Amino acid sequence: MQISARHTDNTTIFDVTGDIDLANSPEVRKALLREVREKRTPRVVMNLSKVRYIDSSGVASLVEGLKASRDVNSRFILFGLSPSAREVLQLSRLLKIFEVYDNEDQALSS
Amino acid sequence: MELLSQVGGSVINGLAYVGSLVSLGGRAAYYTFVAPFQGKPIRFQRAVSQALDVGVRALPILSLITFFIGLILALQAAYELRRFGAMSYVATAVAVSMSRELGPLITAIVVIGRSGSAFAAEIGTMKVTEEIDALETMAISPVHFLVTPKFIAMAAMLPCLTIWANAMGILGGSLFGVAKADFTFIRYIWASLDSLFLRDIVTGLIKSVMFGITITAVGCLEGLSTGAGAEQVGRSTTRAVVMSIFLVIVVDLVFTALFFFMSQG
Amino acid sequence: METALTDSLETTATISVRDLRVNYGEREILHGISFDVNRGETLVILGGSGSGKSTLLRTLVGLEKPSSGQIWIKGQDIAAIPPSEMDAIRKRIGMSFQGGALFGSMTVGENVALPLREHTRLEESTIEIMLRLKLEQVGLQGFEYYMPSQLSGGMKKRAAVARALAMDPEILFFDEPSAGLDPIIAAGIDQLILELKQAFRMTIIVVTHELASAYLIADRMVLIDKGNIVAIGTTEEMRASTQPRVRQFLDRVAEPEVSRELDYLQMLTEDRRSK
Repeated sequence: MQISARHTDNTTIFDVTGDIDLANSPEVRKALLREVREKRTPRVVMNLSKVRYIDSSGVASLVEGLKASRDVNSRFILFGLSPSAREVLQLSRLLKIFEVYDNEDQALSS
Repeated sequence: MELLSQVGGSVINGLAYVGSLVSLGGRAAYYTFVAPFQGKPIRFQRAVSQALDVGVRALPILSLITFFIGLILALQAAYELRRFGAMSYVATAVAVSMSRELGPLITAIVVIGRSGSAFAAEIGTMKVTEEIDALETMAISPVHFLVTPKFIAMAAMLPCLTIWANAMGILGGSLFGVAKADFTFIRYIWASLDSLFLRDIVTGLIKSVMFGITITAVGCLEGLSTGAGAEQVGRSTTRAVVMSIFLVIVVDLVFTALFFFMSQG
Repeated sequence: METALTDSLETTATISVRDLRVNYGEREILHGISFDVNRGETLVILGGSGSGKSTLLRTLVGLEKPSSGQIWIKGQDIAAIPPSEMDAIRKRIGMSFQGGALFGSMTVGENVALPLREHTRLEESTIEIMLRLKLEQVGLQGFEYYMPSQLSGGMKKRAAVARALAMDPEILFFDEPSAGLDPIIAAGIDQLILELKQAFRMTIIVVTHELASAYLIADRMVLIDKGNIVAIGTTEEMRASTQPRVRQFLDRVAEPEVSRELDYLQMLTEDRRSK
């Protein structure tokens, strides 16, 4: 898995490539929490279009990111969910809790 | 001829049993001394809670028993010493026999009754309810997870309990010393301490560590070899107690003999 | 030849069992069993008590050593690999035991989190969210701080499933999921297995003697009797089977009486001590 960040005004976009699983979800979590808690970026966007598989540790890390952003009143947005990732979130009844968009344009214009 | 083959069979079984004990102890030693350097940390939390159970909660009953034993020793010694007008040696007799022999041994027997049996029952029940199997299928070694913390707790707590037992024994002896042998309390304690050599205490403590390891190995092995069914847990527990008492006496004999011959040479 | 075999196995099947024999002491329990489990399917292993089905399950998860034969799981023969590699496979499988096998000294939450705490370097906060997700998935939300002894039989099984799911396994094993439960609770567990099957597309292997539950959850079934495979096939194939042993089991016909009087006499009068 690889994670890289793009910064625009008030927004940070994380591009994630590969699977998010037990081995690397701590890395995702760390990047997310640093952005939300320490840098206080008002809008953090996760680009998951190149993620095939998210296991439950990955889901839990996203939940932590969401919780942290709610705590500081910033926004946490997901886009580009693969059908399987969407299904995983749906199953955990999380799809409605996250702010989810289909593509980057929608996510940024929201 | 039949008798001979039966004796031979028992000897082989006995050796096989000791072999399993040593192998279990060896695996626990691996998880204590080697595995932590390979990224498998010791379960300290579990060891500490075991140590509380084995050690601290044994204190009331152990204190009472060893206090009485000290008193009994003083009475028994006084029987003989009285005839030679040597009542002042009561303190020595109690202190030496407590710290060399009875302190470690009585402590071991109390711990067998409280903890050795509990280990066998706990692990045996987990065997029957498939909890041990569950650990295995989760790739968690039962020896690492369950047995090793018990070894650490026992090896650490038995010497501590033994020191406490020695002190309580001497205290028990002092009751007689003060009442019937013209000691003051302070003088009795000083006489006891004077009569003790560091050697007596250290050999007693070395024995107590060995007792702790023996009791844990037997309790855990009996637990792990429990068959199917609840009544097997009872059987394992009984066997753990009987085997532990027997093996503790054997270990006691071996080490006492060892210390004896070492002091000669 | 050998490599060709394993290659072809890897592509089609998650688990391949070849000529598996298991002994308890002198007695052979499984007499050379072979079958495949395909990726993503639910395979039900059916059999009466003493048929060897539980032994088969225990052997598949590495709790019993086969006396001969091969068990290929994800391309590795678990009958032949060292313990360290077996542990790696075990982290990819989950097992739900008959009685739950929850650790009585830990809370439900600690039980579910145990594999994660032992095997991963996840933060405690992540693990807590994960265990709550797992409990939610099995319908036990809010029971995190209960002790196993405070749960009913059906809840214990649900908690055990949550623990088996903790590491997001690829293969999930169930030993008698409905044993000891009343029919309604048992149906709830069947429903849970169906949900998991749909949701995670896991390979699921269930050992049971409950026909109703087998018909409901199985893609394919294996019928085992006296340590041999009697029949193997899809649920429809089994239903349509005309094999006498299959019909006997599926139609719940009682065991036939010992047929030959001579054998019976022999059995009654045999002097076993003379050996």
